[in-house]
Amino acid sequence: MRLLTIATSLAALIAASPLAAQTLNVASAGDQNMVDYVKDYLAPMFEKAHPGVKVVAVGTGPGDSGSQKIYEKLNAQKGASATDFDVVVIHQKAAGQMVKEGLLDKYTGNVDTAKLATGDAAKNALGTDVSGYVIPMFQSQTALAYNADMVKTPPATFAELADWAKKNPKQFGYNGIKGGMSGVAFVAGWVYAFGGDADKLMKGPYDAATKANWDKAFADLKAFNANATITPGNAGTLDMLNRGEIAIGPVWVDMFYSWKADGKLPPNMKLKLVSPGMPGQPMYYSIPEKSAQKKLAEAFIALATSPQVQADGIVKKFNWYPGIDAKNLEGKLDKADWDKLFTDVTPAELASNGKPFPIAPYFNDILEGYEKKVAN
Amino acid sequence: MSQRQLALLLIAPGLALVAALFLYPLSFSLISAFTGPQGGVSLDSFRKAWELYSRDMLFTVVIVLASCLFTGLAAIIIAGTLTLGENRWIVGTLKALYRWPLFIPFIVAAQCMRTFLAKNGLMNNSFVAMGLMEPLQAVSFLDWRGIIATFVWKQTPFVALLLAGALAAIDRATLEAGRNLGASRLRVLVELALPQVMPQLLVALVLSFVTMLSVLSVPMMVAGSQPTMLTVDMAFRINAYGDYATANALGVITYLLSAGAAIIYLKRGMAGKEVAP
Repeated sequence: MRLLTIATSLAALIAASPLAAQTLNVASAGDQNMVDYVKDYLAPMFEKAHPGVKVVAVGTGPGDSGSQKIYEKLNAQKGASATDFDVVVIHQKAAGQMVKEGLLDKYTGNVDTAKLATGDAAKNALGTDVSGYVIPMFQSQTALAYNADMVKTPPATFAELADWAKKNPKQFGYNGIKGGMSGVAFVAGWVYAFGGDADKLMKGPYDAATKANWDKAFADLKAFNANATITPGNAGTLDMLNRGEIAIGPVWVDMFYSWKADGKLPPNMKLKLVSPGMPGQPMYYSIPEKSAQKKLAEAFIALATSPQVQADGIVKKFNWYPGIDAKNLEGKLDKADWDKLFTDVTPAELASNGKPFPIAPYFNDILEGYEKKVAN
Repeated sequence: MSQRQLALLLIAPGLALVAALFLYPLSFSLISAFTGPQGGVSLDSFRKAWELYSRDMLFTVVIVLASCLFTGLAAIIIAGTLTLGENRWIVGTLKALYRWPLFIPFIVAAQCMRTFLAKNGLMNNSFVAMGLMEPLQAVSFLDWRGIIATFVWKQTPFVALLLAGALAAIDRATLEAGRNLGASRLRVLVELALPQVMPQLLVALVLSFVTMLSVLSVPMMVAGSQPTMLTVDMAFRINAYGDYATANALGVITYLLSAGAAIIYLKRGMAGKEVAP
């Protein structure tokens, strides 16, 4: 009899608990650090402020492919009453496509912090107007990392880098275009430098004939690759820099500083943002059109984009540039924490040499041109 | 219900599973590979696949064939030692050790090789510490050589297992006769034992060929991306462009490559039936 009582009360408990608890599903594209950020930092804070809510974080993998997986899931659930995800963290290329196909909710009017992000990245994703649909989570930038013991005067331009690589065979390493975005950024930077009209690639309008002008740039890149080391992935480049196997390589600034803080890179590693520039990109917070928890999702994003969280979480803990305008972080951050982001890459360099990726159709043309003319 | 109907009923769930999970996606990918951007039958995806990845196709075939060759050699050495070895200590140790890589997934093997084969990795550092090599002589094996090393390390136990079984099953009398007439152990292995187990060796290598053709993690993690294997290209086509047509065309090319191996396998199977009593 007692067994029966216990069993019934257990059953009642199990049946009742889903009614009391609400679950907010957050899907992040990007590397493990993105999932950790939501799981270990944002989720506990949000759960404390909203009793009874449970935040579940899932990662869909690094690079644009992670966003592509989120896109495919939302696209497949178009006809369903609700999607599995309530908040998505996505790259620019996928954000533009999702807005065009009506997969995202125009939510930023309901979130006060949206007003704090006025930069171009909040409105324009590789040529697509996304205003209203996204708030930048952070901004990141690629730059060349170099070993100051092996390279006394780092190259300042792409042309100097090409010369340097010729004189120091196999000492420059990058991950091609299939192993992560830092390699893609390097290739885009190369086309900006040697392909002619870089401004048009970033701002449009798209003209399919443009890619014919890149033949020389790609042929030079093929010759350059003969003297370069192809590394396995973003982390692979940092690994090889760490072991002294290469002396220079393109990396994400945030990963670089995090690895350095963890002692996974020697202290003699420095960054250089060469001219005419290398691309960077934000990650976006968005809410799927069919999310079942829109109010909760908006509250979550409002917390994540508040100046305090941007200062403590994004800048201090994860070494990203903030997603909202930097002036809103004044007073929330020690000078030392802020300056840490600008030790090697000065704010002036970032302003002049920090570029966006090319607009989506040119982006695809560059990747495919690389596969056809450089890799094959 | 007749015996025959009952049998059909029993295999029906299995057949349905094969149809739903294998035949349906297979035909789907075949159709997509031969469909043009505007619909209709077209070879556009194959043209694109060739234009972008012809070098990778050659690379894939060379890597997999080379790996099969080295796997076969290593397996013959191990299985030969196990069957014909006379030093009990060596045979015992080998027996205990050689199956281990069978239990390690490709992705773990790839991760281990990444730190083992690197320029300043475990292997080179050990050589330097033992005084066999100067630090400046160290070279990284994280390229095509790394892929082959990982494949061979991972597949050798499988081939050796099948081969050792086959060798153990052949009539010892012929081998002993050879030994009695003064043939060396190597000669007994190459001229007497191996010809008798050739079918089994070939089957094991064909199965390894197909397995290695399908691995994504090893080329992705061990080597850089130029050139790379077709699996990586397929993943990239889908992830970077959402372009399923070209990825499926690459898939069809992979089917054709493995079909070549499957034909050898089936022919061997038929030949085996004919000689069976």
